[in-house]
Amino acid sequence: MEQLEQKLKEEIITALNLSEMKPDNIDVNAPLFVDGLGLDSIDALELTVLLEKKYGLRIQTSEEGKKVLYSVKSMAEFIRSNNKG
Amino acid sequence: MEAYINGISAISPQNTFSGGLLPIEPVGYSGIRSLKCIEPKYSDFIDPMVSRRMSRIIRMGVCAALKCLSEAGIRNPGAIITGTGLGCVEDTGKFLNSVYENEEKLLNPTPFIQSTHNTVAASIALLLKCNNYNSTYGHRAFSLESALIDGLMLLNEGSAENVLVGALDEMTPELFSITDRLGFWKRQAIDNLTLGNSGGRGTIAGEGAAFFMLAGSRTETSYAKICSIRMLYRPSGIDETKSWIREVTGNGNPGLVILGINGDEKTDTVYEQLIEEAFAGIPALYYKHLCGEYDTSAAFALAMAAGILREKRIPEIMKTGRFPDVVPSRILVYNHLRNTDHSAILVESC
Repeated sequence: MEQLEQKLKEEIITALNLSEMKPDNIDVNAPLFVDGLGLDSIDALELTVLLEKKYGLRIQTSEEGKKVLYSVKSMAEFIRSNNKG
Repeated sequence: MEAYINGISAISPQNTFSGGLLPIEPVGYSGIRSLKCIEPKYSDFIDPMVSRRMSRIIRMGVCAALKCLSEAGIRNPGAIITGTGLGCVEDTGKFLNSVYENEEKLLNPTPFIQSTHNTVAASIALLLKCNNYNSTYGHRAFSLESALIDGLMLLNEGSAENVLVGALDEMTPELFSITDRLGFWKRQAIDNLTLGNSGGRGTIAGEGAAFFMLAGSRTETSYAKICSIRMLYRPSGIDETKSWIREVTGNGNPGLVILGINGDEKTDTVYEQLIEEAFAGIPALYYKHLCGEYDTSAAFALAMAAGILREKRIPEIMKTGRFPDVVPSRILVYNHLRNTDHSAILVESC
């Protein structure tokens, strides 16, 4: 498990109040929305704020948002590709 | 207009939710200036994935509503109406703090969305998938009464067969600090059960969530019948209050009154004068030592009144003097908030 992915999981749990969940319960490749963790549009906003607050990264378009927020792995890749990881 | 109370659930600083509605062993708190609710295990009622975003007052409200519906055997109410003086204070505080701390940028959406007064009524509707009438009254100490009147009107005009009415308010450290500066609370910490004799200025803060399932027809488990709900804003003096009380009670005196005595010597004089005159000879109970002062505290009193009428038992801890052995069939809940918002709810056994 890479350090950034682990850190992201912990931040997601805190930001979304997933108190019943442990980082190990989150599959880095699984979709965060609908089928996977079952997150919704408000969670998408919370994750967008998280990326901007913690990593200084802004998602520019809704299409980019869909790709970046697909999974923990895609979020980590977005952070790394912007040299913030 | 009349309505039967066919279900009640109350979360309060007493064991009203998990124990019986009427306190047998009252919960005493030593050295306090504010009472907090005894909260249930929410996961027994709400899926943690659903409740994760809910602040404390939303959880309390939703939980109380679900238990009330369950007790009345209703799955989809004809209307959901709530009353709250200050709404979701915790989320409002979070949102405002975040506006300040982040210089109006990068605001988390959840506290903003949930800081509105109608969040609880909306959350109940979402959970039940109930698309019926949904409304919330934020009318300070008239919030419960406004919600009840709306509910009775819906039943009276036949727009709904049953109505879920709730009232709730929460106390947070920030709200306590602000209202403390306004002189609302006692300077010294006290034991809540001695509130009535505490003397001096101010009272103790409180909070609670109570829900009532109202319907136009009686069931085998009905608690009581609401006969009248009246409000009086800023009476010019005690004479106007007395004359208004006489109008509320109509021809027959209630057999019992439940008063909002809160230990503040300045505003308790209203109750004292009424006990001597308009309520002379009528046994009186009080309740704010059990739940504290908050905008919708009359909901706690209404729950007590309905419980007394159904169980035909008067909790010792609420009595202010000697009582007859027989529980009367009419109870008047009379409360005022700082001698500004006066309300009276008349209930009868059914």
